[in-house]
Amino acid sequence: MPGLSHYLILSGILFSIGLVGVTTSRNVLKILLSLELLLNAANLSFVAFSRYNGDYTGQLVVFFVMLVAAAEVAIGLAIVVLMYRNAKTIQADDLKELRW
Amino acid sequence: MNSIFFYFFATVLILAALTVVLARNPSYSVLSLVVAIFSLASIFILLEAFFVGVILLLVYAGAVLVLFLFVVMLLNLNKEEVARVRQSRLRPLGFLVGAAFLVEFLWVIKASTATETKTPGSIRGTIETIGRILFTDYLLPFELTSFLLLAAVIGIVSLAQGALKSDDTQQLSS
Repeated sequence: MPGLSHYLILSGILFSIGLVGVTTSRNVLKILLSLELLLNAANLSFVAFSRYNGDYTGQLVVFFVMLVAAAEVAIGLAIVVLMYRNAKTIQADDLKELRW
Repeated sequence: MNSIFFYFFATVLILAALTVVLARNPSYSVLSLVVAIFSLASIFILLEAFFVGVILLLVYAGAVLVLFLFVVMLLNLNKEEVARVRQSRLRPLGFLVGAAFLVEFLWVIKASTATETKTPGSIRGTIETIGRILFTDYLLPFELTSFLLLAAVIGIVSLAQGALKSDDTQQLSS
């Protein structure tokens, strides 16, 4: 029977993988995807703590985090599409200039 | 039985997350994030957070990742653009930060004795229980999230309108 620490370790591994993705990838889409991994690692901790503390608030926080993530992804992808139209690139470090 | 499922889904989740980060092609990253979300939802259901697990599937696998895939297809990146992954000198630093975080995290969990003695509380995150709390104690935050989504919609519409206007001027000038 896995305990609370198992879930927290899984969440930590997931968060580290997402962190490596955010810091090492240059493709903006992959940075956004790694951000989703980070948010979901935090969600896993919240649900695990909610279960083991007998408190529903953790699951509500997950609900709100998912709403924020949906808004963030929608805006982020709109910006990526605009970036590709204007600069013809989706590599983050090709954007060196402040104006197009 | 519970632990077999936990280890199975945890393994799938970690492998899929690694594929998200390491895959060259962004469409493979998106598809393996779908796998990761499915196994994460299964772990939520093992934790008896049924409502949150189902919402995770609906919102992420159903909406967010379809949006991602749509954008990846829409940008229609040519092969050179995808393959053009120049290694940065700062890349090892990113792995170092990730590894340092992981070691620190595992160390903290191992050091804390509070997590070992916990037994699971008798809560079941069904729609009834979550909805009852959401519409009583957390009614104001719930209503405020609609403003957040409205702000996101307005932001996207204004971004898209700017794009349309710039397209028009390009057509006029060309």
